[in-house]
Parts: sequence; C-alpha cells; structure tokens
Amino acid sequence: MRAIRLLLGKDVRLLRRSPALAAALIVYPLVVALLVGLVVRYAGERPRVALVAPAGLPSVIVVGKQTFDLQQLFAGAKEVKLVRMPAAQAEHQLSSGQVLAVLTVPKGFTSDLRGLKRSPKLILRTTRGGLSTRVVEKLRSFVYSTNLDLQKAYIQANLSAVDLLLHGGGGVIGRTRFDLLGVRRARAELAVLARSPDPATAARAKELGTFMGQLSGAVGQVGTFLRATANPIQLVHVQQSGRSWILSAQVQAYALALALAFVAVLLGAGAIVAEREENVLGRLVGGLAGFGRLVAEKIAFVTLIAAGLGLLLALAFGLIVELGHISGGQPWQRVPLLLAGLLLAAAAFGAFGVLVGALAREAGTATLFAFLVALPLTLVALVPHGTAPVVTWIGALFPFGHAVHAFTVALYDAHPARLFLRECAWLAALALAYGIAARAAARRLL
Amino acid sequence: MTRRFGRRVVLEPTDLEIGAGEVVALGGPNGAGKSTLLAILAGALRPSGGTVAVASKLGWMPQRPALYGRLTPRENLELFARLAGVADVDAAVGRALAEVGLAVEDRRAAELSVGNQQRLNLAIGLLGEPSVLLLDEPTASLDARRRGALWELVARVRGAGGGVLFATHNLDEARRVADRLLVLEEGLLVFQGAPAAYVEEQAAPNAHEHKDTGL
Repeated sequence: MRAIRLLLGKDVRLLRRSPALAAALIVYPLVVALLVGLVVRYAGERPRVALVAPAGLPSVIVVGKQTFDLQQLFAGAKEVKLVRMPAAQAEHQLSSGQVLAVLTVPKGFTSDLRGLKRSPKLILRTTRGGLSTRVVEKLRSFVYSTNLDLQKAYIQANLSAVDLLLHGGGGVIGRTRFDLLGVRRARAELAVLARSPDPATAARAKELGTFMGQLSGAVGQVGTFLRATANPIQLVHVQQSGRSWILSAQVQAYALALALAFVAVLLGAGAIVAEREENVLGRLVGGLAGFGRLVAEKIAFVTLIAAGLGLLLALAFGLIVELGHISGGQPWQRVPLLLAGLLLAAAAFGAFGVLVGALAREAGTATLFAFLVALPLTLVALVPHGTAPVVTWIGALFPFGHAVHAFTVALYDAHPARLFLRECAWLAALALAYGIAARAAARRLL
Repeated sequence: MTRRFGRRVVLEPTDLEIGAGEVVALGGPNGAGKSTLLAILAGALRPSGGTVAVASKLGWMPQRPALYGRLTPRENLELFARLAGVADVDAAVGRALAEVGLAVEDRRAAELSVGNQQRLNLAIGLLGEPSVLLLDEPTASLDARRRGALWELVARVRGAGGGVLFATHNLDEARRVADRLLVLEEGLLVFQGAPAAYVEEQAAPNAHEHKDTGL
C-alpha cells in the first residue's frame, strides 16, 4: 500500500504540472458528451424508408365530416422518414442499404379505404439485416397511429348517423335526400297518441312509446360502446413541462459514461506507458514496487481522477437543473449512490485502459490504440437491444453499457437497489478481469 | 542465468560472481547483452533460466536515465528513497546529491543537461547506501572531471568492501579501474579474466580472427 500511495501522489503531482492535459481532461469529454447526447437523442429515430406508389399516392378521402389528406399523412410520418421513389430505385436502395425498407402503396388502396369492404393493405419489404425488426416496429407504430386517426373519423361518422336516427333530420345517401323522423320525435308523437280517446290506440301507443324510450336510451349509449370496443385499452398521453432533453436521465447517464470511458481509458493507457517512457519501470519492479502494485496504482489513479471528473459533471448538470427551475429537479439524495457507480465504472474503464497501454507499449501507439478500441466498444453499447445478439454480448464485456445503466438507475429509478447492485457487480468483475489481464500484459513493457 | 526475448536468445547461460571489494568491467559490442545482464542482476528483468543471488544491497544506474522528467531532482530522489523504505529520507538525499556533486535545483529533471541527468540517475542508484553498484556505461555523458569523480566513488565502494560491475566500451577505462574484465559477444561470455590479459590476447597474431568486441 505504501508504494501505491507514493506512486499515486507522484502521478497526481505530475498531472497538476500538466495544465493543458488537465484542461483537456475536463473540456474534451464535455464536448464529446454533448455531441453524443445529440446523436443518442436523434440517431435511429426515423429510419429512412422508400415509399413506392405505382398508382400515385392516395388522395384526399372524406369520412363523415372529416377530410383526410393521405398524402399529407404519409409525408408527415413521425416514426419513419418516407422517401418517395420509383419501384426500381427503391429496390436498388434497399439492396445497397440506403433505405432500410420499402413501403408500397398498391393500386386500389384508396378505393378500399373509401369502400371499407375489405381492409386496404400496405406492403412492407425489408432485408434480413439486424435493423429490420426496428423498422417493422416503427412502421407498425405509424400504421397504428394512422388507423387511430381514421378510426376516430369513422366512429364520428357512425355517430352522426346514430344521432340522426335519434334526433331526426335531413340526410343524404348517395344522391338521395331524405328526412328522418327520429326516435325522440317519434316518442313524442306516440305520447300524444297515448292520450287518444280510443283505449286500444292509446294502449298500443303507450306500449310503442315505452319501446321508443328503451330504444332512445340504447341508441344514446352507442357512441360510448363504439369508442370502447374500438379502443379496449386507451393510452392517454399527458405532456407536462419536464426536463429539457439535454438534461434527461438518458442523456445525463450517457454523458457521464462517455466522459468516464474516454478519460479513464486514455489516462490508464497513458499512465502505464509513461512509466516505460521515463525508463523507470526497471527501477520500480526491481524491488521498489512489483507489476501488481504498479497496475493497482494506475487503476487507483485513473479511478480517482475519472470519478472526480464524473462527480463534477453530475454536479454541473444538477446546478443547471436547479438554476433552470426544471421540474423534477436533480435527485441530490442519490449523489452518494451515483458516486459509488462512478468509482466502479472508472475502475473498470481504467483497468481496461491500463491493459490497452500494456499491450501497446508506446505512448503514441497506446493513445491511438485506446481510441480505436474504446470508440467502437462505446458505440456497441449504443446499439439497441435485440438488434444483434452478438453485438449485445460484446457490449456487455465492455463497461460502457453497464455504466450507463448503473447511472440511470442510481439517479432516477424508484427502487434502484437490485438493478444498481447487478450493474455494479458487472463493473467490479470487469475491473478485476481487466486488472488481472493488465498485470499479465505489463511484463511486455520491459 | 540465461535470457530469451521470444525465441531470440540475448544472454546465453552465464555464470559469474562479483566478490567483495572487486570492481568488474563488462565489455562487448552493442547488442551483446551487457544491459540485459545488468538489468537481470538489478532485478528489473527476470532471467529465463537460472538464478541470481544477491548478498547485499544493490544500486543500479541504467544506461538511459531512469527518472521522472517532470519532477525536480530532489523530488525524484525523495520519491525513490521513500519507495526504497529509507529511514531518513532527507539525509539520504543529501548524501546522494553530494556523492555525485549535483547542485539542488528547482528545475525539472527533464530540463537538466544530459550529463546532469546521468548524475541524477547515478544519485538515485546510490540511495540506500548500496554495497554493490551496477553501472551501465556510467561515463558515457560525463566530462573528464565528472568521470574522475565517478571513479573515485567506485574506489570508495571497493575500499568499503563493496563490489562494482560496470559496462563500458572503453578498454583503457577497464584496464585502469577494473580488477577483472568480462566480455560478451551475442549473449555469450567469451572472455573472463584480467583486463591486461585481454589486451594481450587482442594483440596476439591471430587477433584478426576475433569479432568486434566493442573494446
């Protein structure tokens, strides 16, 4: 421990004497975190999908009193970016990966939609690539939301007919105009007849009046029933003034993990290689400190610096949240939990960095190697779950995904204990595994 | 002991002993394995085979200065003294600086001249008052005055019953200072004996058959 403490003090002193490096350590991850925050927020939200309509795009249709511009509906799809193109071009772009799917609007779509004798069909073609599931989900969501809008219009149209039946009035079927008495007016007239001096007529009118009353009540409920059967489960979306996206839980967690990943991996790689560059490794391992203690010291050094930086970042986010009076506020009571996650994540990233440095041996190579390795392994963790299982497994062996999850859970989960401990166990295991590997690889530095 | 780097043998099986009060010169051309041998004796490298037995404290001065360039000379000495577990750090640092004649400066070690860096390198090796010194081409960057001071130090260590093994390319130096000369060629110990005997051997009529020994 004495050797570790002495070397740790030396490394902190050396870092303090490199103001440019210290400044870069703070500024660089913030900038990268911000940029990746933007990417995370928007990447993959709108997959590019070719829109093929051999008979032209569907035109305007009228349902009841509502008008639907189907062209506008397609153009305004939020879930995917629909790009109109001919069938041959769409085919080419699908095979070359320029579009992730082809959505074809077949002939007769509009007439099917107007007639409603059968459901109009849209044909979606995807490749067998890993992203096809995601595109299908997005288009299902688009079709669902379109169906929902149409459904509302059809229900409204049906309810107008029911309303006419109930209250009576003028209507048009095709080109034929008609005038309907309506259940309520019929009931009123039957009530007059029920006061007829002819007892038989009065009794008959009374009986019919009772039936009309029951009919009126039943027809009055049709709207509710229609809506209920059309939407057995309804999702009510209430938008409130919450955090701006930049401070959302997801982006805050990604920013912290990203800052830690780059700082710790680069610092870890640089710190171990620096001992070789200074030519002091021989002295150290020749009786002053073994490779084990040297690797442990480097991991401790990186952990201290990177976790400190992570904490500063979290405090900065919190300060912005408080000063901006953003609803929900920063969960300050969770900061100790977050700090535990930061320490473990920094240790895991640091151990990985030391391993990279030990393998690379030279400062220039170590820096480049650290970048080349850390960048894809970070991006691997950003690939959505279920896209490609192999990628998910590779991501699981790098601390980034676990760090993001641990930070999110630590800051915003209502009951964080179980998930947080699981991710912390992963981070601790990765730190240990990379540390052991770094210890074995450190001999290469001599 | 022997040492390989991968499949390449850099030090063939070599037996040697440095006795108390003995100064031994280690010669040989570049890449002969001199620095590897010294690093193994200093414990910086593990031998691939064989053992190293050290009966007393070792002080090592590698060929290239082994120090932290962004620390001052004093900070370097204090750090290595503490790492070595020296009881009175200030006294040990003062002694080491006096031995090599290096003035205390606030400049970083990297800003020192090459010669002064080499003196600091030696001073670090002297911390803990070692009785055996391993010096890798110690006079390479020193001026004549500093070389003289170094050999005085070597003489003091010998006088105190210590041992010194130094690598050199300078046969005159070996002849003047060393009791014994070892010559390595491609990792193989090709000569072991008095420096004068080596000079005679080199002067012999068949000397042209010898490879370049770097001396």
